[in-house]
Amino acid sequence: MLMSSILRTLRFTLFTLLEYVRSGRVLVELAATVAVFYLFFRRLGTPMTAEYFFSTAGLFTLALTFYSASTILGLGDRPQGYLVLARRLGRVGYLIGLYLAALAVVSAAYGAVSLGVALYNPVQGLSLLGWVAGTIPLLLNVALLSALLLLLAPMVLTTGWRLAILAFVALAFSGSLIGGPTLASLPPAVATALDVLRTLFSTPLLPAFTGFALSVSRDYQGLNSVIPLAQLFLTLGLLALAVYTFSRRELIFTGA
Amino acid sequence: MDAIVVNNLYKSYHTAEVLRGLTLRVPEGEVYGLIGPNGAGKSTLVHLLLGFLRPDRGSLRVLGASDPSRVVGQIGYLPERLRYHLRYTGREYLRYLGQFSDLGGPELDARIDDELRAVGLTQAADQMLSTYSRGMLQRLGVAQALLHNPRLLLLDEPTTALDPAGQREMIDLLRTLRGSGRTVLIATHYLDEAEQLCDRVGVLFGGRLAVEVEAAALRAPGRAVTIRVAGLPTDLVERLRLLSPAVRCDGAEITIEPNTAELQASVVRALLDANIAIISLEPHVRPLEELYLQVVSGQPVMPPAQEAAPGAQDNRPAARRSRPGDTLLRELLWREDTRDQRDDAP
Repeated sequence: MLMSSILRTLRFTLFTLLEYVRSGRVLVELAATVAVFYLFFRRLGTPMTAEYFFSTAGLFTLALTFYSASTILGLGDRPQGYLVLARRLGRVGYLIGLYLAALAVVSAAYGAVSLGVALYNPVQGLSLLGWVAGTIPLLLNVALLSALLLLLAPMVLTTGWRLAILAFVALAFSGSLIGGPTLASLPPAVATALDVLRTLFSTPLLPAFTGFALSVSRDYQGLNSVIPLAQLFLTLGLLALAVYTFSRRELIFTGA
Repeated sequence: MDAIVVNNLYKSYHTAEVLRGLTLRVPEGEVYGLIGPNGAGKSTLVHLLLGFLRPDRGSLRVLGASDPSRVVGQIGYLPERLRYHLRYTGREYLRYLGQFSDLGGPELDARIDDELRAVGLTQAADQMLSTYSRGMLQRLGVAQALLHNPRLLLLDEPTTALDPAGQREMIDLLRTLRGSGRTVLIATHYLDEAEQLCDRVGVLFGGRLAVEVEAAALRAPGRAVTIRVAGLPTDLVERLRLLSPAVRCDGAEITIEPNTAELQASVVRALLDANIAIISLEPHVRPLEELYLQVVSGQPVMPPAQEAAPGAQDNRPAARRSRPGDTLLRELLWREDTRDQRDDAP
């Protein structure tokens, strides 16, 4: 039973990927990958460090995740989806299949960049094990962001809830805008409330921030070793929330 | 067992109430036509039966399950709009959809071949769907709906957006489904389709089922027909007039009003005996059309239960007396006939 559910989901992932490739949309990822490689990873005078590679590749994959996940989720939000959803695949398989397809595209782009770097401009002192150590939190961050985008997809959450979650995320990131002197100038009660809310809403995002740092440092000593687990659990939590919400939503696909 | 049981179902989108207390039963093995104007709620009902939407109030059971998602694998669905994933060949598309229904291996290949053959797409099986015409896409839609051998078929506007030839093809194709033992619900606003394909037809109007009729009643001759012929000799005109005052001849046209099956047969026989070529025979208003127009124009349609007051004497001929399951159409036709008879009376 579980095995056939997994098989159906994987087949739908393949189905989505094939459509994505045949539609030509994947050319955007290809062009972006080539451009990023040329701009940031081609052989220059000084050898590339592992920190530079993981921080630049980390930012690239996160940016790409926004595009790829949004586009692939958009493919799922069309009336064509009714035909697929009217089968045993069901809503869970449908949503997870779209998610896995987005993950596969971004992972492939990261893999291509890594392969290009390994072949044409190897990172100084980075072994295969070091690459794996940096890649795990990097890809978990991709998975985490994809899960957040999945939850925020119009077919999953209503507009009101999406705006509310985006507001929470904005509040969590508001430290650089409303901090220091600005915060001090606010009435004490408002400043305290803002600080509490910011801490409250930024805490769930900690695994994402620390995951990025772990990818760059590849230092798994002490508490750092639990960061990938925290990333994984946060991802699974977001996915579960997305699946739960989607399974209760009324399906009204209106896309082209 | 009833394949579809809908009880007092309500569904609205925001403030617009689409279904208002809809009650409907479709026994297993029946081909049921749900007709109604655009926006009447036919597609909404189909989506409720598939579990895409949830009722606001009321209940529904599909193949015995109150949660349609539990039986979704036993339902075949042809969507209203011609929206398919066009980046696949017909065969690839069916293969994927079959796999989503847990089919696979040689069994799936054989099913795909069978269905492609049944809908006449074998030659085009390896072409991309983007090259298919509307008619071909709709036939592929039927193939995918039948691929997993479902117990219940939900066909939402199967001939919409097709040209007349495509509509004819689709109706011919769907006619082959009759007698397959499957339960079929056809939501359509084309009366022809419902008339030709269904065992029973319901008119959805105002968010509920305004009336239900049996197909046998729909196939009754129209209340008035016009027969066009190549030419009418004077002696034949006289003979036709003698058949009944209801027969009127005007040039190459013969009108029978009020019409009956017997009178129509007599006129046609007389024409054939005289070797007159019949060009066409057209009912003025078909029974279903008449009923439909009556419903959508808001004319009062009395439910069968209110037809006769308790204790009232039933003077109708035995064949037309109301029986359980009798259709309102019969009742309406009977009323029309008796009115005509009263009008004809001296």
